[in-house]
Amino acid sequence: MTTFSARAPDRDTASASERWLRARAHSVRAPIASAALAGTAAAALLIGQAWLLARIIDGVVIRHHDLGQILPLVPPLLGVIAARALVSGLVPVAAFAAGARIRRDLRHHLQTHITALGPAWAGTERSGDLANTLVDGVDEVERYYADYLPQRYLTALIPLAMLAAVVPSDWVSGLILCLTAPLIPAFMILIGKGTEALNQRQWRTLARMSAHVFDAIEGLTTLKLFNASRQEAATVARISDAYRRATMQVLRVAFLSSLMLEFLATLAIALVAVFIGFRLYYAQMHFLPGFFVLLLAPEFFRPLRDMGSQYHARMAAIGAAERIVGCLETPAPDTRGTARLQQVTLITFDRVGFAHETGGQGLSGITLTLARGECLAVTGASGAGKTTLAHLALGFLTPQSGALRIDGADLGSVALDDWLGHVAWLPQSPTLFHGTIAENIRLGWPEAPPEAVEAAARAAVAHDFIATLPEGYATRLGDGGEGLSGGERRRIALARALLKPAEVLILDEPTASLDQGTAARVIATIRDRAAHQAVLLITHDPAAARAAGRILRLDRGRPVPPPPAGEAA
Amino acid sequence: MKDLRRLWALYRPYRSWIALGIALTTATALSNVALLALSGWFIASMALAGLGTQSFNYFTPAAAIRGLAILRSLARYLERLVTHEATLRLLSELRTWFYERLEPLAPAGLRAHRRGDLLGRIRADIDSLDNFYLRVLVPGASATINLVLLTGFLATFSLPVAAVTAVGLSIAGVALPLLMLRLGRAAGARAVAIRGALRAAVTDGIRGAAELRALGASTRQTARIDGLSDALIAQQRHLARLKALSVVLSGLTAPLAMVAALVLAIPLVGQGRLSPADTAMIALFVLAAFEAVATLPPAFQAMGETLAAARRIYEIADTPAPVADPAVPAPMPRRHDIRAENLCLRYHPQDAPALDHLSFHLRQGEVLALKGATGAGKTSLVNAILRFHGYQSGQLTIGGTEVRALGGAQVRSLCAVVDQHAHLFNATIRDNLRLARPEADDAALRRVLEDAALWDEVSTFPRGLETFVGEAGARLSGGQARRLIIARALLKDAPILLLDEPTENLDAAAEDHVIAALRRLVAGRTVLLISHRPRTLALADRVVTIENGRAIPSPPSAPCPKYATRV
Repeated sequence: MTTFSARAPDRDTASASERWLRARAHSVRAPIASAALAGTAAAALLIGQAWLLARIIDGVVIRHHDLGQILPLVPPLLGVIAARALVSGLVPVAAFAAGARIRRDLRHHLQTHITALGPAWAGTERSGDLANTLVDGVDEVERYYADYLPQRYLTALIPLAMLAAVVPSDWVSGLILCLTAPLIPAFMILIGKGTEALNQRQWRTLARMSAHVFDAIEGLTTLKLFNASRQEAATVARISDAYRRATMQVLRVAFLSSLMLEFLATLAIALVAVFIGFRLYYAQMHFLPGFFVLLLAPEFFRPLRDMGSQYHARMAAIGAAERIVGCLETPAPDTRGTARLQQVTLITFDRVGFAHETGGQGLSGITLTLARGECLAVTGASGAGKTTLAHLALGFLTPQSGALRIDGADLGSVALDDWLGHVAWLPQSPTLFHGTIAENIRLGWPEAPPEAVEAAARAAVAHDFIATLPEGYATRLGDGGEGLSGGERRRIALARALLKPAEVLILDEPTASLDQGTAARVIATIRDRAAHQAVLLITHDPAAARAAGRILRLDRGRPVPPPPAGEAA
Repeated sequence: MKDLRRLWALYRPYRSWIALGIALTTATALSNVALLALSGWFIASMALAGLGTQSFNYFTPAAAIRGLAILRSLARYLERLVTHEATLRLLSELRTWFYERLEPLAPAGLRAHRRGDLLGRIRADIDSLDNFYLRVLVPGASATINLVLLTGFLATFSLPVAAVTAVGLSIAGVALPLLMLRLGRAAGARAVAIRGALRAAVTDGIRGAAELRALGASTRQTARIDGLSDALIAQQRHLARLKALSVVLSGLTAPLAMVAALVLAIPLVGQGRLSPADTAMIALFVLAAFEAVATLPPAFQAMGETLAAARRIYEIADTPAPVADPAVPAPMPRRHDIRAENLCLRYHPQDAPALDHLSFHLRQGEVLALKGATGAGKTSLVNAILRFHGYQSGQLTIGGTEVRALGGAQVRSLCAVVDQHAHLFNATIRDNLRLARPEADDAALRRVLEDAALWDEVSTFPRGLETFVGEAGARLSGGQARRLIIARALLKDAPILLLDEPTENLDAAAEDHVIAALRRLVAGRTVLLISHRPRTLALADRVVTIENGRAIPSPPSAPCPKYATRV
């Protein structure tokens, strides 16, 4: 049984995730530095632009210059404007380079790791969640490197650059900016905290609320059956409303801290303007530096304001990183042996025992032999350990006691992929992949000629229904074989297992969701295959079990004698 | 345009909130421009006064600057509160609206939309509709107002200055974003398609990890994913270059417009038509004005996405309901036998009939089993009985009353259903059960769980009835989920029972439990049982075989009508 504790990431895991994100930044230092450098260069050019503009205005206002006297300043101003525009254009290019490298590496890394973790692990995760992590999660992480980190550097560098330009012109304004500036990081932390709380709490509530609506949509038929679908509309409205009230309560406070930030920044600009004005009035300073400083004051605060909008990128990245780290930090099972097999003729289970870490039904004392030319049926209630036995035989799980031998060699000493090369397997819930029916059947033998594909499909009693499809074997299958019935999907997967050249055939419930006639034909195929393959048949269908030469009956992980004749398996 | 109008119709009830949000956003932007422009004019005037060339009453502008600083901050705060409040109100409205549109359609009316990931798409689309207000309407409207008011203000000083500024603002706010949208459209569409393929490949790779490994196809799948990932990045690189181009172009527009405005304004000073201090004001005003339209490019971007989402949502919402309730429903039938006479049902005029002159009689209190291959029409019969889909001809009666003379809710209150599609909600076991009878107490819940052979397991869960079952019951095993659905049907205690493959995918032991539970359940009820499992079929008093939509054996009959004569 799964545990029911909600997996709520706390602040510790959040900061651990951010450390992990930071550590990854190492590989993209160069493009991030380029982005920061380009941004700073653009700021420096902006200072130049402000200086030239201030000189023009100074000329007009104070020195009564006419257009002719101003014109010599215009070409350099245009030059600076053009240079600044071009340099700013480099920021997104460099940022993209940083993000692209991270994304590509991360996706490859995740996919390889998921493969290394093996099938036993993939079964425990909800594939939708994991797919979202690989596709969207990786994109969210990307923004940390492409948007947040460069902005962080700019937030430190640009105000310094502005200050360096302001102080020599007017130290009083420099002082005003210096005094307000430290207050802003303080508020940024407050806002950051506020946003964090907002993110962690509100986004989860939003997700829950949105999930509720979509759960209701998904279960609409069921709701209608209980005549509860109309009331549900009221519930949807009520939950949305409660959510709105709760969110607004938090937002009113969260926005207050950003109000303070805005207010401080705006007030500082106003103070700079008013102080300059009065010193000009009393002729204590010149107009040129005064106007120059006024032009730069808003630029001093701009990166701090932009930083606020990057908090979302950061929070989303941390959220996504949590899921990615969770996957990447799951240790891959020990690498197995390296021995290679020639021909497989005999599989031996010698007092094999296995216990799941999660406490599911394990196995104990399993002794059996299966040779080519034989079919062994494994029966028992669900949860009796049948599928565990199949996974042990496949090498996905390793016995904790006893031994599993292939022609006398311990399976643990054999390279897993080499062993799997000798095995064809129909899982209990087979997967159909995006692609055509023929591609799906061919997966285990990509070069198989069409006749072989058709022969396998006939053997799996799939040819008849495939032939009735308008595009036959070229029919494209959507999500998980959408549009096909459960029985049809199983038969395509069976054809895939039958097509793969292998000495061992492991079939997990091949007749489930088939009607009796079809099941009988599938059983006939299994009988045929047992003539030259070693067939391990897992089933709770008594008719299928009778097709096997021998039956191993499991009860709570142990072999038990078969029931008296007449009773079902 | 039509889509926009329909969207607006949904938003109409909230027009005062919307107007307030726009007003506050505009106020924030304008006070920012005013603050900078006034500061420039103020220090220029103060400098001139300091030089003794003009007298200057500094009290009003100095106070105005401080006032604008406060106004700007406050307006920004209120703007954020109001727009968020309005967004949340709209969100609630939109979801309720969509749910109410969908409700009459389920399940038969949604068949046509069942391709691909319907739910995933709806989710994303509704989310983009939520954004319409915050990301499109408010920034778009307020930027337009800003553009008009700001150029209007400049026009009081000089028409050419106002004109050149208006041209610059229109380029930055309208022409450039439209150009970028156009240039990026193909790459954007390709990126969406590749992302879809990538998601599919990744999902396949995870869901089918074990099989790929066993088939020796893992490396091929990883290579495929890498290839798609590279292809996606290539498209995104193209889009990033476009973004860089737009940064360069908009970075040029604002200062160039300012230079042009100054070049036009400076001669006016010499002519005495403009005071020297006004030029300082104009320079800052023009620069700041560009910030007031900076929200337009993302709004254009969002508008395309939102309208596409709206069209997809309308497509679903506009699907006609498959069945309409009669204006005056017949009284509830007293008896509960079910009789079908030459019943014909097609889902679509082009489809083969799902039910083809089907006739049978299910007596009250009898258990009648239907067997037949998948697709023989068994589930269509259940849909017809439950009024989820109409039928084109023939009769279908419950207790002698034609089913179509009854309201859907009436029919469904008579029936309890156990099938493979029954949904478990992401809620507690208790809530899932109480759907059938909201007032049921824990003793009643325990009783039905015992009858469904589930109590022994539920009582070992740490949280018992309070256990959350997960999305679609994912935290329960398949057998547990099925038995919970049976328990829910037991709790409903309806006179008619429709069992559609109630033991499918259960192992023998679980099937035994469930059959025992069903035996208790069917007693005294009228039961239609669909199954092909021999031990489940043993519950039946009588078995009828259906093949291609008709009972076997059946008398010859004319073909089913293509179009609904009566629904």
